[in-house]
Amino acid sequence: MTSKKILIITTNHSSYPGADAVGQARMGYDANTYIIRVPDPVMFPEDFYLKAFDKGIAGIIIMSSGSDCPYEGAYERLSKRVARVYEQMKVKGIAANRLKLTTICTVCRAAFLKEISEMEKAVSAV
Amino acid sequence: MDEKIKEEAAKDNYRQEPKVGVYVCHCGGNISDIIDVKAVAAALAKYPGVTVAREYAFMCSSNGQDLITEDIKNLGINRTVVAACSPSLHELTFRNVLQRAGVNPYLHEHINIREQASWVHKADHDGATAKAIKLAQAGVEKVKRKDPLNAIRVAAEPRVAVIGGGVAGMRAALSAAGKGLEAVIIEKAPRLGGKLLDLGKMYPSGEEGPAIAGKLEALVRAEKKITVHTGADIDFVGGFVGNFRVNFKNADGTSSQVKAGAIIMATGYQHYKPAQGEFGYGEDANVVTLPEFISLMKNSPAGRLEYSGKEIKSLALLHCVGSRQVEGVHKPQADGKINDYCSRVCCSSALYAANQVKDRYPGVRIYDVYRDIRTYGMQHETYYDKASKDGVLFLRHNETDQPVVTSDRTGHTVKVKDVLTWGEELEVKADLIVLVTGMMPADISLIKSQMKMPTGADRFLQEVHLKLRPVELANSGIFIAGTAQYPMDVPEAMAAAGTAAAKACILLAEPDIPLEPFVAVVDEHKCTGCGLCPAECSYDGALMMAVHNGKKVAVVNPALCKGCGACVAVCPVRAIDVAGWTLDQFDAMVEAIAKE
Repeated sequence: MTSKKILIITTNHSSYPGADAVGQARMGYDANTYIIRVPDPVMFPEDFYLKAFDKGIAGIIIMSSGSDCPYEGAYERLSKRVARVYEQMKVKGIAANRLKLTTICTVCRAAFLKEISEMEKAVSAV
Repeated sequence: MDEKIKEEAAKDNYRQEPKVGVYVCHCGGNISDIIDVKAVAAALAKYPGVTVAREYAFMCSSNGQDLITEDIKNLGINRTVVAACSPSLHELTFRNVLQRAGVNPYLHEHINIREQASWVHKADHDGATAKAIKLAQAGVEKVKRKDPLNAIRVAAEPRVAVIGGGVAGMRAALSAAGKGLEAVIIEKAPRLGGKLLDLGKMYPSGEEGPAIAGKLEALVRAEKKITVHTGADIDFVGGFVGNFRVNFKNADGTSSQVKAGAIIMATGYQHYKPAQGEFGYGEDANVVTLPEFISLMKNSPAGRLEYSGKEIKSLALLHCVGSRQVEGVHKPQADGKINDYCSRVCCSSALYAANQVKDRYPGVRIYDVYRDIRTYGMQHETYYDKASKDGVLFLRHNETDQPVVTSDRTGHTVKVKDVLTWGEELEVKADLIVLVTGMMPADISLIKSQMKMPTGADRFLQEVHLKLRPVELANSGIFIAGTAQYPMDVPEAMAAAGTAAAKACILLAEPDIPLEPFVAVVDEHKCTGCGLCPAECSYDGALMMAVHNGKKVAVVNPALCKGCGACVAVCPVRAIDVAGWTLDQFDAMVEAIAKE
């Protein structure tokens, strides 16, 4: 197992049950992945991500509920915030592919694994 | 819960020094076969703030729960971390343990080391163990920063919407109404009864399908608490537990809406329709499915089994058509998938039909061509015994050597490589070929996609947990009744419907449903009154600026706040947070995860 840690931010309504569905199907992925759940990632300010990189997190996947988000306007706000995080990452010299905003639903098992696989490739270069 | 316990549970624990108890579950071997649970408990026992760390075979069992209760009583534990299965299964269980023991239930953190660790890292025991330790440590950091909370209650519509008016839907509505809950049946067909209307004699009672449907319908129509909409074409299902909306078009083109606190999915199944040419189906008129054969029998005169005016003197039943399909052997369905599941009920149905033929037309020769026979229900084996005694001839093939049906002017020939005679190639002649077809899920794609309902690999609706939360979907407030869940017979569908109705009644027993108290809260001491946060809020009236105690501050209306946290991210001084999900907690969790 690589020591490069990937933080996966999931939503209570959508991507956390999606991660459970991957487990229920006994699919596999690497153990350097740490899933935390939130009502919605829109709550995190820009510096939350930057501080996580500073602390040693190699990659962050934000698995939002996308257009299925139960919170009005939250996904649009999240997208804009993540765009600002990318700008700040560029200034700090952090590769953009270490942060990914994506949408995972309760049954998106294949998409969940694909996102992890892509992030594993991205963090291998860190 | 008595008043004394309630009072104790409501007491303010957050002023006490955090004393965290960590409990690592083996889940039988589901977790401990992969993760070294003793190592996890040992690592956590040394972690700052942890008073005790234990591991146990089943933390959710009474004995497991007692471990926590005893630690609260004897060691003064005032916060808990349980590392076990998904919180969707047992977070509430452990919150209730805390509440019963006099600790605020929200001072608990549930860590998922089964669905998101042991089940997905089977080949990496060390990695899974290291991950479980980190996740549990992050859980400790989070729970140390938690405040006690009290549940919010929301008004719920005191009614259940039953989608589907077949046997399961009618039974569910009757059960709900019998317990005093208003039920609304929404059925797309012009009349109630579903598939039962097309069937003949049903096992085990021997009653005709339409007669059973008729009896149920009479009960439904007589029940004042049940409203029925037939010919209803659902075009939208939305909302959330306590407040669902089902919109549909009526047969006359008008639109209607049903508001309901819970939904029961009784959407049933569809018969597997063989592909064109599958065992001659669709090309040869004398190849029919079992449901078609049952209809044929209903219309056949006494003493002579007829089809298209010709007497049927012999027939061959071919089992597992459209069920237990094998990759590479069977052609996939339109969605690219094969039906690899056993449809369960078809063997008993086929044998029951064979016995009816033998009773009514003793001279008809019957060949039963099968892979395996599964007569799983109470006394269903007697159908097999009777068929054997009455002279039905059984031939058995394996999964790769499918029987072959050929037709010519002399009739139909079924070629079977029969494993009962050690692989001998046998040929039998039959006037009629009956394909014993299985069940497939009904097409409810619109509802499934609108409500994001989970389905299993077999494409039927999937309950949360076979034993712990049967007939419940992951979507809170939605329950499953009957063959929408998996192939089952009428008695099973009725039982499932009763369970679904009971769960809906429990949910809606009170006029309001307790919801989690995770709404925005403002620390007035920190708030500078900058006014950035209300602009982020999408819900009118949920977050406003106001003068409080002579100071301009942000004020949250907890009844309107949805707890999304959009306001949290823009506060420059971190004066606003979502209760139970604070930024400080997440910072500390990430710190714990990142630490080497």
